[in-house]
Formats: sequence, C-alpha cells, structure tokens
Amino acid sequence: MNARTTLLASAELLGWWAALAVLWLVFISTVDTLELAVGAGVACLGALAARAARRAVTGR
Amino acid sequence: MNGWILAAAVVLGGGVGATVWGVATGPLRRRVVAQNLCTAFACPALLLLSQGYDRPSYVDLALVLALLGPVGTLVFARLLADELAADPPSAWGLTYAAAAVGAVVVPALCVATGPSRAMAKLLVVGALLIGGNLLASRALSGAFPEVRRG
Repeated sequence: MNARTTLLASAELLGWWAALAVLWLVFISTVDTLELAVGAGVACLGALAARAARRAVTGR
Repeated sequence: MNGWILAAAVVLGGGVGATVWGVATGPLRRRVVAQNLCTAFACPALLLLSQGYDRPSYVDLALVLALLGPVGTLVFARLLADELAADPPSAWGLTYAAAAVGAVVVPALCVATGPSRAMAKLLVVGALLIGGNLLASRALSGAFPEVRRG
C-alpha cells in the first residue's frame, strides 16, 4: 500500500462517511449533540463496511 | 377523517387489497408480481397515514418497507429463478401504476410538509420506493440472467 492508494482509500472512506452522516441527519427527528455524536460514530462503522462490501463485489 | 386518511384508505383498499388477492390466488408468476407490488402500495399508504394522523414515526415504517420490500422480491426472484425462467413474469403496466402512486403521493406530501429535513426524508423514501420497485420488477422479468448461475 503506497501513498497513492492510502490517499484513495481515505478519500473513499471520507465520501462514504459524509454520505451516511447526511443520511443519518435527515432521518433523525430531533437534532441534538448526542444524536450527532452517535450518527458520526455509526457513519464511521458504516463507511468501513461499505468500502469492504464494495471491494468484495468488485474484487479489488 | 380528512383527505389524507381518505387517500390512504383508497390506496390500502384498492392497492394492497388487490395485491393480497393476487398473492392468494392464481399461478406462481402472478403471485410473485403481486407480492412485489404489495409493498409498493403499502408504503405510500403509510406515508399518507403519517400525514393524516400527524405521526411522523409512521414515515420510518414506510422507509423500512421501501427498503426491505424490493430486497424481499430479489430473494424470491433468486429462489424461484428456475420456475420463472421459462415464462418470466412482466407486468410493466402495473409496475408503472404503482410507481405513479408513489410519484403522486410523495410530492403531495412534500408540498404539505414544506422545505425541511422531513421533506428530505420523504424524498429519500420516495426515491427508494420507486427505484426499488422498478429494479425488483426488472429482476422478476429476467433482466439479470447472470443471477441464475451459482
């Protein structure tokens, strides 16, 4: 894993994280600090899972 | 009783009632199409009930239904692939009718809700509903033959 692939992986994870965090923000009923913290954490897990799933499907 | 609940009653009675009848009777190819369309009608009905009773939590039910309904149909399409291969069911008229119900209900609710996070949620539900419905119908009509292998 060189610098370029690390950068690509981080960019992909960041993209998934942003999309999932926005989705969480849209779906919750009341916006407060706890909800945002939980949403950010769950979006992290979701981003890791999404990248793993994407790599499993495309075989790369 | 208001207009939203009346509309929900029409969608539930006409749409979901007809699909339950279709699931319970007739040949296999009719049953899989009917079970696919069942969630496509139940989801807009839940959205209308959510507005009619002023209970935003019903939208979550509609969201889960819009997501899991097409997934369930994909499971049926995979498991029944051999039975459906000779004569794949295609009911594009009914599929587009169900998609049209969603395409009418979601914008109407968006107008009633006004620009807010709730409206964005409605739009996500509508996109999942219509997109999932069209994808599941394509899968049933044998558009993804590579699934049959393996």
